[in-house]
Amino acid sequence: MKTLAELRKIREKAQQEMKLRQSNNRVKIVVGMGTSGIAMGAREVMKTIMEEVANRNLTDVLVTQTGEKGLSSMEPVIDVVEEGKQTVTYGNISSEKARRIVAEHIVNGKIVNDFVVTVQS
Amino acid sequence: MLDLSLNILDIIENSISAKATEISVTIEMIVLKNRLHINIKDNGIGMDAELKKMVQDPFFTTKTHRKKKVGLGIPLFKQTVENCNGKFILQSEIGIGTEIETVFQYDHIDRMPLGKLADTFTIVIIGHPEVDFELNLRRIFLHGENKIFHFSSREVKSELGDIPLSYPDVMMFIQQNIEEGIKKIELEEI
Repeated sequence: MKTLAELRKIREKAQQEMKLRQSNNRVKIVVGMGTSGIAMGAREVMKTIMEEVANRNLTDVLVTQTGEKGLSSMEPVIDVVEEGKQTVTYGNISSEKARRIVAEHIVNGKIVNDFVVTVQS
Repeated sequence: MLDLSLNILDIIENSISAKATEISVTIEMIVLKNRLHINIKDNGIGMDAELKKMVQDPFFTTKTHRKKKVGLGIPLFKQTVENCNGKFILQSEIGIGTEIETVFQYDHIDRMPLGKLADTFTIVIIGHPEVDFELNLRRIFLHGENKIFHFSSREVKSELGDIPLSYPDVMMFIQQNIEEGIKKIELEEI
């Protein structure tokens, strides 16, 4: 069973890392978690993104969720929000596509044009 | 919705839309009575009697910013419960919060499986770090020892201080903790 002592160790490690960097969150990934998103598999997508972020140890990425956005026909939908850059909305996302977005967009900074719904500044 | 864990996720998202800062989910299986209880309680803005009636109607939604005005979260869950000889009770009070209490006949042929409860809980906790989640999962035996799993995201957050819940090691910690806990109490044989 996991214990709170383990959390304390994680905290110490994380605090060491935080000291070495300036901003806390370079990029935010927002998953749409409304009724239609959930019905279309948004939970699986969010879980995949979380696991990718954890496996790649991306400590400056924030994974979060939001409600219905009126894009029901394109669910699951995710937004990639980066300070000083355009916000990219991706649609019809599956776990596989989500993995590609993390690898290409989040890690390498290249928008995955195949899945883009809109780009707004 | 394919399983109960997705219905629960949808109801939790409603609580968050209602500005809840504390959400507690209780799932209790009473083996010998053949009953499964799922309760979700929040401290959100709450609803008056009229709104309470309306949200149970499949052609109603609180969203006003776009044309399409239907919301299916509560009606879908209600239907899921009533399909298997269950009971669905919605209680709400303005300024206090909302509570949904459900009872299922555990072995009813139309009862959906619980599904990936661990995934539902993990993603809402990490996706809404500002909200305190309280999970209570119990398998109650009338004789012998009950199996209980409790998880509080507030405890985790107070231990972490300024480290975010989406920090990689923390995400893994939360996920594994909840998965182990749910496995331990064997709510459902899959």
